[in-house]
Amino acid sequence: MTETILSVRDLRVTFETPDGPVSAVRGVNLDLKSGETLAIVGESGSGKSQTTMAMMGLLAANGRADGSVTYRGREILNIGERALNGIRGKKITMIFQEPMTSLDPLYRIGRQLAEPLRYHAGLSARAARPRILELLRLVGIPDPERRINSYPHELSGGQRQRVMIAMALANDPDILIADEPTTALDVTIQAQILELLADLQKRLGMAIVFITHDLGIVRRFADHVAVMRYGEVVEDGAAEALFAAPKHPYTQMLLDAEPEGRKEPPAEDAPALLTGDDVRVTFHLGGGLLAKPTPLHAVKGISVSLHEGQTIGVVGESGSGKSTLGRALLRLTESTGRVAWLGKELPEGIDAMRPYRRELQLVFQDPFGSLSPRMTVGQIITEGLLIHEPTLSRKDRARRADEALAEVGLDPSMRNRYPHEFSGGQRQRIAIARTMILRPRVIVLDEPTSALDRSVQKQIVTLLRDLQAKHSLSYVFISHDLSVVRALSDHIIVMKAGEIVEQGPTDAVFDAPRQDYTRALMAAALSTTRFRTAS
Amino acid sequence: MLGYTLRRMASAIPTIFIIVTLTFFAIRIAPGGPFDLERPLDPLILANLQRAYNLDAPLWQQYLIYLGNLVQGDLGPSFTRRDFSVNDLFAQGLPVSILLGSLALLAAAIMGTFLGAVAALRQNSWLDNAIVAIATLGITTPNFVIAPLLSLLFGVVLGILPAGGWSDSNPAYWILPIVTLALPQVAVIARLVRGATVEALRANHVRTARAYGLPGRVVVGVHALRAAMLPTVSYLGPTAAALLTGSVVVETIFGLPGIGRYFVQGALGRDYTLVMGTVVVIAVFVVLFNLLVDLAYAWLDPRVRYD
Amino acid sequence: MTDATTNAAPSRSLWQDAWRRLRANRAAVTSLIVLIVLGLAGIFGPMISPHPYGQIYQQYVRVPPSLEAYPRAEEIEPAIESLIRRARVEAVGAEVEGQTATVAVRSDQPIDTRITRYFERSDQFTNPQLELADDGMTGTLTVTVDRNYFLLGTDNLGRDMLSRILIGVRISLAIGLLASAMALVLGVAYGAISGYLGGRVDNVMMRIVDILYSLPFIFFVILLLVFFGRSLFIIFIAIGATEWLDMARIVRGQTLSLKRREFVQAAEAMGATRSGILRRHIIPNALGPVIVFVTLLVPKAILAESLLSFLGLGVQDPMTSLGLLISEGAQNMRGAPWLLFGPAATLTVILFALNFLGDGLRDSLDPKER
Repeated sequence: MTETILSVRDLRVTFETPDGPVSAVRGVNLDLKSGETLAIVGESGSGKSQTTMAMMGLLAANGRADGSVTYRGREILNIGERALNGIRGKKITMIFQEPMTSLDPLYRIGRQLAEPLRYHAGLSARAARPRILELLRLVGIPDPERRINSYPHELSGGQRQRVMIAMALANDPDILIADEPTTALDVTIQAQILELLADLQKRLGMAIVFITHDLGIVRRFADHVAVMRYGEVVEDGAAEALFAAPKHPYTQMLLDAEPEGRKEPPAEDAPALLTGDDVRVTFHLGGGLLAKPTPLHAVKGISVSLHEGQTIGVVGESGSGKSTLGRALLRLTESTGRVAWLGKELPEGIDAMRPYRRELQLVFQDPFGSLSPRMTVGQIITEGLLIHEPTLSRKDRARRADEALAEVGLDPSMRNRYPHEFSGGQRQRIAIARTMILRPRVIVLDEPTSALDRSVQKQIVTLLRDLQAKHSLSYVFISHDLSVVRALSDHIIVMKAGEIVEQGPTDAVFDAPRQDYTRALMAAALSTTRFRTAS
Repeated sequence: MLGYTLRRMASAIPTIFIIVTLTFFAIRIAPGGPFDLERPLDPLILANLQRAYNLDAPLWQQYLIYLGNLVQGDLGPSFTRRDFSVNDLFAQGLPVSILLGSLALLAAAIMGTFLGAVAALRQNSWLDNAIVAIATLGITTPNFVIAPLLSLLFGVVLGILPAGGWSDSNPAYWILPIVTLALPQVAVIARLVRGATVEALRANHVRTARAYGLPGRVVVGVHALRAAMLPTVSYLGPTAAALLTGSVVVETIFGLPGIGRYFVQGALGRDYTLVMGTVVVIAVFVVLFNLLVDLAYAWLDPRVRYD
Repeated sequence: MTDATTNAAPSRSLWQDAWRRLRANRAAVTSLIVLIVLGLAGIFGPMISPHPYGQIYQQYVRVPPSLEAYPRAEEIEPAIESLIRRARVEAVGAEVEGQTATVAVRSDQPIDTRITRYFERSDQFTNPQLELADDGMTGTLTVTVDRNYFLLGTDNLGRDMLSRILIGVRISLAIGLLASAMALVLGVAYGAISGYLGGRVDNVMMRIVDILYSLPFIFFVILLLVFFGRSLFIIFIAIGATEWLDMARIVRGQTLSLKRREFVQAAEAMGATRSGILRRHIIPNALGPVIVFVTLLVPKAILAESLLSFLGLGVQDPMTSLGLLISEGAQNMRGAPWLLFGPAATLTVILFALNFLGDGLRDSLDPKER
């Protein structure tokens, strides 16, 4: 009854680069049956996206695909744009990771939705309109009569992804390819989009190829799973079987990559190091010579108290003010209210704060942006020493750099290399070494693991926990990723729109969240129940 | 949109005012005057002349008089061409400059966009390389090299076009000046459009259009080229202002009666009113075309709002 | 994307990477070589050229380019004869042998030995020796034929075009480089301060730039020239003072975007001083775009100088520049087109090479841009 509608045989993708050819996909075989969900799982650089790009004829100009892809017995690989256009957008459609940029910013969404209908179903703009409204309703866009005339920038990220899905469904496709469709979205929006996809599949019966790095999603969504690494499928099989008994060590490693373990709680009588009382941050947006700036209250009166050896996890969605709170606690952004270090109020101003900076450190989310590309690793991690221990000799600085690199698990001989020669995880270790070299007591960690692959995340979490135990550090850990927060924190603050909606000891918050918002965050991030009720 | 236009025009007035003021005092305190001829004038005649042109009044008074006249649209009498007012000179010269400049602009926009788009669509082919190389040559060859060469080739060697001179009615006289004016702009626009199109073709929304099986002409024409036009439109504003106010080089080499020459002649001969008039005309053109560009930009890109 | 695999390769900084990419770019490397050759020619050419750039050869006005030496073989005897006639003596027979010409002369009166001056003054002959017979009425005149090469011809006054083009290259490149250096210093300082301080200071500083921007370049130059008199120094000051505006805008934009980068914030969080941040983070990272812009600034400055000279506002005779040579060439192109072709081709090659080098640098410093 379930026939195979798409089959990929020995697919290879090679890119010509100035440094020679790079093979991104090396002989992939996949089969997709009608109506099923196939998940392709892998970390960044595994070739999972390029596999589907090759199928759809969307490789970059320097890419070449070999092998065979057949749709209902018909070869579709390298058959030319014109022939391929009979299938893509009609029988096989696709949604992308970047909802913000995947729609043309210059046209109303109604017009963009009409295009697949015009060129595949031959409908006129007028004839397409009822169908477009129906599609918008189907994907849950409120007030479609009005929204049909919106430009993409007038919609939120989640709404844009819904519009993309509507576009994908326009011609009742057989296959929907979803390339990390929720990665760029907040967790609660992610859950809604996934629910929508599951629901639509149930109603419309198309097959879905779901590309993701997130095994949590796969578990709840897929019938069949293929795990990719270095351009190859290392393991594939039915989802349940694969999760129950992974055969390949890489799959096992990915499944284990969920950060686990709990942090040892700090001593009962640990002294309070950093306290914030009624901290408020207001930004003034826009405003010119005449226009009055509009105030944005990013943090609306938050009080926290960080004790020695403690980790406070701050969770919330983007725009909730959690990063701003972290920066305000370090006096890196102007705020009102009291911020005190060991009971003494911290001064404002660059020069006045300098003596305190050595003990109050910050680690950023983006390991690619936070290291200056023109400096060697050695120069980067010793910059703080130049500021806080200017009397140190060059030799002593080099010795301290070696110690710091060794402490974060990097080879000290890498001191003379440049950041672009390192992977994301290594860079984040360098960023941590840069703070550790100053022997700080408090580190604000602003989403330090969000840009990293799961397996790397786990290592960084372990590293952070080890460093904390060894040096009795205190952390403010800012993240939207609840599983990481749970593995690191003693105390949780849940933020929404600049306010604390809930806080308490980690286990208490996780085991019995009191607020709907917290529950939604948890359900979206940690639930293992499947989206689809029937299959 | 009307309100926006009016607001923009109003906000341009202070800029023009500052420019007029700066130029006025700069040229006035410069050594020399309009009547410093090789043979000094009789002091009595000089005094009469200065009185006739209000040059004997204090500088600030002259400035106020000039501003007063300017507001009424009177640019004053020319000092060196004593039978003409500056308004007369512009009435004669400006149509010529505008005619040549606008035709050159039109030609450059069409040719440049075409060549740039072709190069981008055939990226890294021989055609692309040829267009880029020729465009680089076009950008680097100064117009005072192109103009004499064209004049020599078509006017003298081949003898198929007039080597110089002007006729209101015979377009044959217009061709070489237009080509000279347009060539460097063709080159710049071609490179701009090429760069923008290459970028647009890589944009995610163009990938979406391709993924949905839209025909190539729709992907390129509707989704890529419109985005690619945006930087070109920004470039066209100042360029149009420069082209339409004449080019001293082209007018000198081809002997054209445009207004491009007035600036250098006026400044060198201390023809105060002529210099000021040129500055005002150029400033007005710059303001006007920047406004047009912003309106076109907002029309092309819905993300830009009038505010 | 940079995975663990890269660690085996020898360490390369971004500068080294850029240099490697630049060397792979054939057009840029060719341009660089052409520019070096032209630069050396501009510096040393006038020194080793047999013709000083200002020397006038009255006998060789507007001679076309030629690989042969002047005077040509067939012109020697007529030239001698005409000079002999002007000396009012009679030539009995003339012989030309290699570089030397021997003329037997006689006259009805005693020959004045000063007739050699006619030959001394001539551009075609040197070293005249007159040996008179005892009667003083006959004698032998030996002169050396002065062979001159004018590979690119001569101009209206009889000056060697090659020497003039070489000195023009020197002047044009020198003004281009000096004016760009001035624009660089002014622009980087102004832009970095404006961008780094931000806020109201930035607003005011950029408004000033906007206003200066809308003043026409030529007007500004003419003003400077009438205030301070015409000199090479003022020309380069004037060009530098107009070209720095773009540089200031670019540096400001760079500074503004760098200020928001996380590595600058990281340095702030570490307590770095303002000057430390500017020195260690902002300037090194803004350098790439600035270098690219300078390579595009040099041709602009050269072009500006040429335009001024073309309009008669720049360098003055007998000193010359490519723009002035082109202007003279354009006036004489009907009779003597080589006066236009030589300098026009040289200027175009310089500008072309600088532009290709700039493009190559941009591609190698920021490979994403292309």
